[in-house]
Amino acid sequence: MTSLTRDVAIVGVGFSPFARAGEPNPRALTLTAVRDALADAGLRGKDIEGIFEYKFGPESPGAQDVARMIGSPDLAAFADIMPTNPSGLGGALAAVMAVASGTCETALTFRCLTRASGSTGGVAGGPREVGGRGQYLTPYGALGGILVEMALKKQRWMAEYGRPESDFGHIAVNARRWAALNPRACLREPITMDDYLGSRAIAAPLRLLDCDYPVNGAVATIVTTAERARDLRQQPVLIDAMTYGTGPAPDWTFHPDYLYGGTLGCANRLWQRASVTLDDVDLAQLYDGFTSVTISWIEALGACGRGEFADWVGDGSRLGPGGDFPMNTGGGQLAEGRLHGISLLNEAVQQLRGTCAERQVPDAQVALVASGLYQQCATMLLTAA
Amino acid sequence: MTGLPLPDTSDPRPVPLPDEVSRFYWEGATAERLLVQRCRSCRQFQYPPDVCCVHCQGDDFDLTAVSGRGHLYSFTLVDRPLHEGFIDAVPYVVALVELVEQPGLLLLTNIVETQPNSELRCGMPVEVVFEKRGDIRVPQFRRTEADS
Repeated sequence: MTSLTRDVAIVGVGFSPFARAGEPNPRALTLTAVRDALADAGLRGKDIEGIFEYKFGPESPGAQDVARMIGSPDLAAFADIMPTNPSGLGGALAAVMAVASGTCETALTFRCLTRASGSTGGVAGGPREVGGRGQYLTPYGALGGILVEMALKKQRWMAEYGRPESDFGHIAVNARRWAALNPRACLREPITMDDYLGSRAIAAPLRLLDCDYPVNGAVATIVTTAERARDLRQQPVLIDAMTYGTGPAPDWTFHPDYLYGGTLGCANRLWQRASVTLDDVDLAQLYDGFTSVTISWIEALGACGRGEFADWVGDGSRLGPGGDFPMNTGGGQLAEGRLHGISLLNEAVQQLRGTCAERQVPDAQVALVASGLYQQCATMLLTAA
Repeated sequence: MTGLPLPDTSDPRPVPLPDEVSRFYWEGATAERLLVQRCRSCRQFQYPPDVCCVHCQGDDFDLTAVSGRGHLYSFTLVDRPLHEGFIDAVPYVVALVELVEQPGLLLLTNIVETQPNSELRCGMPVEVVFEKRGDIRVPQFRRTEADS
C-alpha cells in the first residue's frame, strides 16, 4: 500500500496592495504578493516546488513565469487552472492535493486580477455569427460576462421563496461593516440597507451593490506538509477537509439545480469528512462575487434551511463584528476587492493565527471557506494547529 | 401607421451559427416550429441540443415539435448595451422560460411584444413566436393570456 495522503498546512499568505486606479503591471503585482507570502512563511523562491495559478484573464502570469521570477529550481508540480474551476480557491485545492499526495513538498498558489480582465463592463464586440454554446445565448443579448446570468439568478431566488431584496442587502451591508476594520480593503465607508436598496440597477433586479468591486491586486498562499510546517515561521493552519462540487448536469445557464448548483453536494461531502461540525466554526469566508451566491452557500452549508435565510439573518448583525456567525471578516470581494476568493482564504488563515487586530474574531480555532458559485464550487475547512 | 420594415442587414444583433448538432433547431425555428431533442431511451426532453442525453447518456433522439407554451422562470431588464450588436436594441428583457412539456426544461429567450418596463412576474404564461433575424428565424417568447 502506498502513502498518497499526508496532512497539509498553510504556512504563508501574501498580498500586493489593492487599488482601484492605475495601470498595473500584473507580473509586478504577482511578484509582490508572492514575495510577501514567502517572507511570511520564512521561505525562499528556491523552496517552492509546486505552483498553481487560477487563470482568468490573459494578463495573469502563468505558473512557469512565476517560477522564473522567484528562482524556483525545477517545478515538481504545476498547473494553470481554467476559470471553470471553483474560482480562486481552485489553485489552493490543487496545491494542497499536490502536497498531500507527495508530488511536491511545498507549493504556491496565487491569483492576480486587474480591471482589464474579463467583461467587467462596457460594450463587448465579437463576431456577428456565434457558434458553440453562445449560439443559444448571444443572439438574445445574454452577455456582458456574468451580469445577465446573475440578474436571472437573483430574480429566481426572489420568486422561488418570496425572498425580499433586503436578504441580499444584508450581505452587502455586512461586507462594509468588516471592511471598515481592514486597512487592505478598498471600500471602507459603511453603507445602510437604504443605500443598498437605492443603488442603481445593473441589469434589474441586479443592483450595483450586489456586485463585487473590481480592483488591481494579487494574493498568494503557500502550503506544505504539516510536519514541515512546524519548523517554519508562522503558527500553521491545518486543512481539515475540502471538497469540490458541481451538482448534476453542470451548466452555467441551464443547471438543473438552478439556485444551489454545486453548493449542496459540496457542503454535504464537507460535513461527512470534517472532524468538526458547523457548530464548531468560529468564522466563515463565503464567496461573495454576487450577493445571491453568499446566500446559496449559507443555506447549503446548513446555517439555516433552504429558503430560510431571511428569518435566520434577522437584522444582519449576527454576520458582523461580535456576531455569532462572523462572515467575510475582511470585507470580502464586495468591499475588500475582487480577488476571486483567494483573499477569503488568506483572511481565514490570518484569523486563525489571531493577527487580525481590530477585526479579530476572539479565540478563532475553526474557519470555513467556500469559493465559487453555482456549478463551480469548493470548500475548505481550516483549523488552528 | 407603421414604417417600412428595415432591411435585414440593418439588424446588427448576432445570429446563431448552426453546427451539426444544432442545425435541426435553427432550421425548425426558421420553419416556425420549435423542435426539442427527446431521448429515445429515457423520453426526457433536453435543451440546449447536445451530442448525447444528459439525463441517461443515450445517443439517439427524436426531434420533437413542442407546444411552444411555457412559463416565465426568470427575467432581467437589460437597459445598457452589453454588446455592440445591441446598442439600438436596449432596453430588452432576457428571460428563462420553462416549457410546459417538462419541469426544468429551460430555454433562454427575450420577451418580445411587451414594453420592457411592463410588469412581468415569474410564473406568467408565455408562448413562442419566431422572430426574423437575417436569413433565419429565432424562437422568442411573448406573454399570453391563456394559461393552458
